[in-house]
Amino acid sequence: MIGFLSAVEGFFTGLSRVHRLLPWILAYLLLLPLPYLLKHGINEYYVDLANRACLFILLSVGLNIVKGFCGQVTVGHIGLYAIGAVSSALLALNYNLPFWVSAPIAVIITGLAGILVGLPSVRLEGAYLALATLGLGESVRIMIAVTPALGSSTGLMMIPEPSIGEFIFDNFESYYYLVMTCALIGIYLSFAILKSSTGRAFQAIREDAIAASVAGINVPFYKLLAFVISALYAGLAGALFAHMPPGYLHHNNFTIIEMVTLLLMVVLGGIGNVWGGVIGAIMVTIIYDQTKDYYFYQPLIFGIIMVVMVVFMPHGIGGVVKQAMIKRKFIEKHEEASGPA
Amino acid sequence: MALLETRGLSKSFGGVQALRDVDIKIQQESIHGLIGPNGSGKSTFFNVITGVYRPDSGSSVSFSNQEISHLPPHKIAALGISRTFQLLRLFLEMTVLENVMVGYHCHTPYGFLSPILQGSKVRETDEKIRDEMIELLQFLGLASYANLPAGELSGGQRRLLSLGRAIAMKPKLLLLDEPGAGLSPVNLDNLMHTILSLKEKYELTVVVVEHILKVVMNTCEQITVLDHGQKIAEGSPEEVQNDHAVIEAYLGREMADEDIRQVIRA
Repeated sequence: MIGFLSAVEGFFTGLSRVHRLLPWILAYLLLLPLPYLLKHGINEYYVDLANRACLFILLSVGLNIVKGFCGQVTVGHIGLYAIGAVSSALLALNYNLPFWVSAPIAVIITGLAGILVGLPSVRLEGAYLALATLGLGESVRIMIAVTPALGSSTGLMMIPEPSIGEFIFDNFESYYYLVMTCALIGIYLSFAILKSSTGRAFQAIREDAIAASVAGINVPFYKLLAFVISALYAGLAGALFAHMPPGYLHHNNFTIIEMVTLLLMVVLGGIGNVWGGVIGAIMVTIIYDQTKDYYFYQPLIFGIIMVVMVVFMPHGIGGVVKQAMIKRKFIEKHEEASGPA
Repeated sequence: MALLETRGLSKSFGGVQALRDVDIKIQQESIHGLIGPNGSGKSTFFNVITGVYRPDSGSSVSFSNQEISHLPPHKIAALGISRTFQLLRLFLEMTVLENVMVGYHCHTPYGFLSPILQGSKVRETDEKIRDEMIELLQFLGLASYANLPAGELSGGQRRLLSLGRAIAMKPKLLLLDEPGAGLSPVNLDNLMHTILSLKEKYELTVVVVEHILKVVMNTCEQITVLDHGQKIAEGSPEEVQNDHAVIEAYLGREMADEDIRQVIRA
């Protein structure tokens, strides 16, 4: 298994040497026929599921930047998702703005809200920060629940689907291409950020904030930056969610249970591991779908998975795979250096 | 010329006065030793210089004739002061190479938005930084571990890596907080040799806090002795060694008596 993954990684690294975008273009091409395979292979419902998985990928990749890489415990991410969704929906409903205008504005609004959620991180750490962000995230949901203009208990309805000219993204297949493209670009950008000095600064802050500051990293600035970047991801996911057919938003989509589900994706896939976040998002979407008959027990199931992961696999599935691959490379290199025994 | 000069440097934590009116001058390209019993304020001195703690008002720290006592740590680091920690504080889950690359942070020629806007430029620059850092790791003998997490290194290698991270910052002034703690005599000699050759190579000014007096006495040109947050002696190793106040601080009042010291020496 590890050998296969190493081979895949080697192949893609080889492609990236030819051109850095080549592996991403190949991945894009491979993902193009997915909705047809799902629709005709199983049924259309699974296309909708794939769309939701893409939204969750955006959310978990964003959450991974702030939590996994920068080490800031935030439980307010779902609030940002809500802000992105509601602001894009309201801009479209009240001002008749097309999706291509309302979504970017919503993303910017969410980014600004990200500064608010991130501000406590300058002074607070760990559990205290979690509580502060939980308060902010939950207050967003309650605001939506009690304000009629934001949907309150009936929710926002008839949110228009995105369209280009005559073409409307009004079914699951066409919407898939929109969310999949966004998710793939999101993953690519998160790699670009995390492999740069910005990403190293995030990780250094996670590992030891004092050592990071003495090494010349502006710790408060980079903490806020991590929050803002993750907020941009959440805002985009929210906007895409709002305009997704059937175009309906309700504050129940943004509860603390949803937040725990999000955290589970990151924990399951691997904290501080981009592909881990992606795998986690896909797995949780599938688990979520498979257990929806036992709706009342879902929090219990997720809770158990979370505890088991934290105790036995603190770095998640991605972490275990990554570790094995590093070990393998190291051993191969040393065998090469020492020659055949 | 003094590279670093403190005047009336004080720091108190509530009722505890960790530093009291400390005046120290560190000469350019010298090795300056800072010694004192536990709790004498040596580490606090480093923390105040590097901005981890804000000194009490009225204190003055000037570095290359610039007042730095009010600056945050990252700005002080950018001016050219780097340090190691007694407990190392390595980024254990990052690779050895990434650890030193974090040290290079201040000199990164691109901004925080460049990864999104100028992907290929960032790649090329990072490639260059990587080569330069591998060279540094080779000098320290850590190059073959470059892609392993720092947490998998041995104790001695970790000490070297923490030194490497400080050097990667291309500092003018290097503050070493007990670089030899927990090393065997042979390793210690090697480490001091490495520090001296790094000093020559990069034209550094070095301040060493150390408990192992042999190290300080053999390598430092100038020594400052702290006790209870106050400077009690300063001078060349010989001067400090024979200073009554220093012996009293280290060994206690009775032991400072000349007759008893004769007995101990014999």
